[in-house]
Amino acid sequence: MLKSWKLKEVVLMSLFAIVFGIVYLLFVHLSNIWAGIIGPIAYEWLFGIWFIVSIICMNIIRKPGAAVLSESMAAAIEVLLGNAVGPRLLLSGIVQGLGAEAAFAVTGYKHFNLAVFMLAGAGSAVFSFVYGYFISGYAALDPSFVALMFTLRVLSGMIIAGIGGKYISDGLLATGSLRGYAIARAEKGDAGA
Amino acid sequence: MRNLLHDMNPSVKFIAVALSMMTIAFFFNPWTPLIFWMGVLLFQVFLSRLNWKVWALFMLPFTIGAFGYLWTTLLFGTETGGQIIWSFAGLDITAEQLETALSLSFRVLAFSTLSLMFAFTTDPVKFIMSLMQQLKLSPKLAYGIMVGYQFLPVMKDEFTQIQQAQRLRGAVEEKNALKRLLDMRRVLIPMLAGAVRKAERSAFAMEARGFTGEARTDYYQPIRIGRIDFWMSALFVLLLAASCLGGIWLS
Repeated sequence: MLKSWKLKEVVLMSLFAIVFGIVYLLFVHLSNIWAGIIGPIAYEWLFGIWFIVSIICMNIIRKPGAAVLSESMAAAIEVLLGNAVGPRLLLSGIVQGLGAEAAFAVTGYKHFNLAVFMLAGAGSAVFSFVYGYFISGYAALDPSFVALMFTLRVLSGMIIAGIGGKYISDGLLATGSLRGYAIARAEKGDAGA
Repeated sequence: MRNLLHDMNPSVKFIAVALSMMTIAFFFNPWTPLIFWMGVLLFQVFLSRLNWKVWALFMLPFTIGAFGYLWTTLLFGTETGGQIIWSFAGLDITAEQLETALSLSFRVLAFSTLSLMFAFTTDPVKFIMSLMQQLKLSPKLAYGIMVGYQFLPVMKDEFTQIQQAQRLRGAVEEKNALKRLLDMRRVLIPMLAGAVRKAERSAFAMEARGFTGEARTDYYQPIRIGRIDFWMSALFVLLLAASCLGGIWLS
């Protein structure tokens, strides 16, 4: 899968993972305290933050694997930073990345617009929720409460990760530093790409 | 004895930790996670060198989180029959509900302790190198991650620099928390733009020095799997079996 990847694209993902790894960690600590007060539902409306790197990287690089690899790298870097949640994060990072990747794969890696990004955010939310359902034992909770958590997470994935990811990558494209990446080439060529 | 967890191969340790979590997740009785948690604590006491003050500090948020789980499960747990053991403000808590709630809270504690054990006994660089050497992670990815990791202090400096530069030009900091969150973009975009340039430069430098990203057979710092790994894995499996069987037997 990595054969067609340029080294600079891999390193780009890694450096983005560092920037977002720090942002993620900040939110992990914030919501951990928050979660003590109002329980596991505290994470839900913020969950989209954790999906954002996969959408930004996929939008920039536009190659199969960009979503899952960047999200896993961000998780790996969080582990490197000495995060206490450690190996757990790595697993959930891979799962979240796969969710976003699935959305892009379904659209054949051909369309990169807001609707697809929101779908990717929702995909991450669904995948991570299924994983969380298993690992955190949501099965023990009341179905209507679980449904509420699920809805919040999907909305958060669509809004924070989907719209936010588009917003940030557009801002970055405007700086002109992305010349030489697929996103800038697509912009110059046909706008439909 | 106290170096065993530190000397374990990071990949083997990672697999042991991940498998343990996957297995424990199937149990909803309070005993399995409790026994497992105690076991992991014992591992840490006897098999690792640990700064308990730091450990306690890191455990604090998880303990609060476990408490959150406890009362959420009590309030929003699935309706189950059984004997009511406690009534409070119109809410009846059955024995079964309490058991599940305790189980989930112990699970949070057990998983956090397990994760902390991994974080405190594993050298991050060795972990990535081991992923590459034992689990066949692509060298492109492995060294890519290492580049990011090395850039961390630079990024931190850049973050303060951008903030100072913006303040110098009279950017006002928002008071409103939500506005400040949206304002993150103002720092985030220059940081990411800088990251793009750094990525290009370092990738170019790596390629100029002959990095092709091909897998190799020899490494400068080989990381091996040894007898310790076998025995430690056996220990983990033993603990896992003990907590699963113990949980079934006690409940």
